[in-house]
Amino acid sequence: MALIMNKVGIVSCSGEIPEGTISRIATRLVLEELRPDQTVTICLPLFLAGGEGERTFAKLFPTITVDGCEKRCAEIGTRTYSGKPFATIVVTDILKKCSKLNLKSRDKLSTDEWKFAEKVAEEIASKVDEALGRGKNANQE
Amino acid sequence: MTESGKVVVVACAGMDKPLGSVARDSVFKVVEELRPKEVELVSLPPLLAGVSSNSELVGNLPVITVDGCAERCATKLIVKNGGKIRGRVLVPDIAKKHNLLPESASHLGPNGERLAEIIAEEIASIVDRLVQGM
Repeated sequence: MALIMNKVGIVSCSGEIPEGTISRIATRLVLEELRPDQTVTICLPLFLAGGEGERTFAKLFPTITVDGCEKRCAEIGTRTYSGKPFATIVVTDILKKCSKLNLKSRDKLSTDEWKFAEKVAEEIASKVDEALGRGKNANQE
Repeated sequence: MTESGKVVVVACAGMDKPLGSVARDSVFKVVEELRPKEVELVSLPPLLAGVSSNSELVGNLPVITVDGCAERCATKLIVKNGGKIRGRVLVPDIAKKHNLLPESASHLGPNGERLAEIIAEEIASIVDRLVQGM
């Protein structure tokens, strides 16, 4: 029981725009590399389609939504079907801080786009740590 | 020929399964390389979250759904939204048929890339059939 309580659900937008690709890759980086033991992904299409397992998880555990753009589909879906997310991240908000970067790719990222995805992943990981009441470097404990 | 000569393609794009990534990659190949003039790509999440104007497209044009797993979310959600599905592609079936699997959801690898190409060609073939009214 203790193990399952230490999980955070990440709901990523998966939209077919470059920012959606950044959302997906950043989320995968968190799931596979940065916080593999503390996170699970919630499949947004399944969640929206009425997946009971996804919705129940999102009701019981903290969620972090990762949206590519201001439409905030992941956040809206989560609020509608499960409740307020613990944290919300919007890729375009982070992009504003990187004024020189122009996202173009929606399948294969350039080197700069990969670096940006890593930056977004770090922000997600930081929110995971907050959700679990931990400080930074949670994975190194 | 369809009324506008266009076909809507909707992919599941699920995050939790590598085949969802293949579904997503394959529709990009169709819309960017194979049939850019004939295809309207519609993203599921904004449609379902009610923040997109694409519901008219889905309601008026023939739709091809591309599902990454047996949940078939794209198909179910298009049916739920009143879309007219005229073609369906289930990625796991094609993966099994060709014995090709991606490395992971974030890195398709050579086999995953090849699988995405095969699926893209299949989607393009359905697009052609629909556009020609066959």
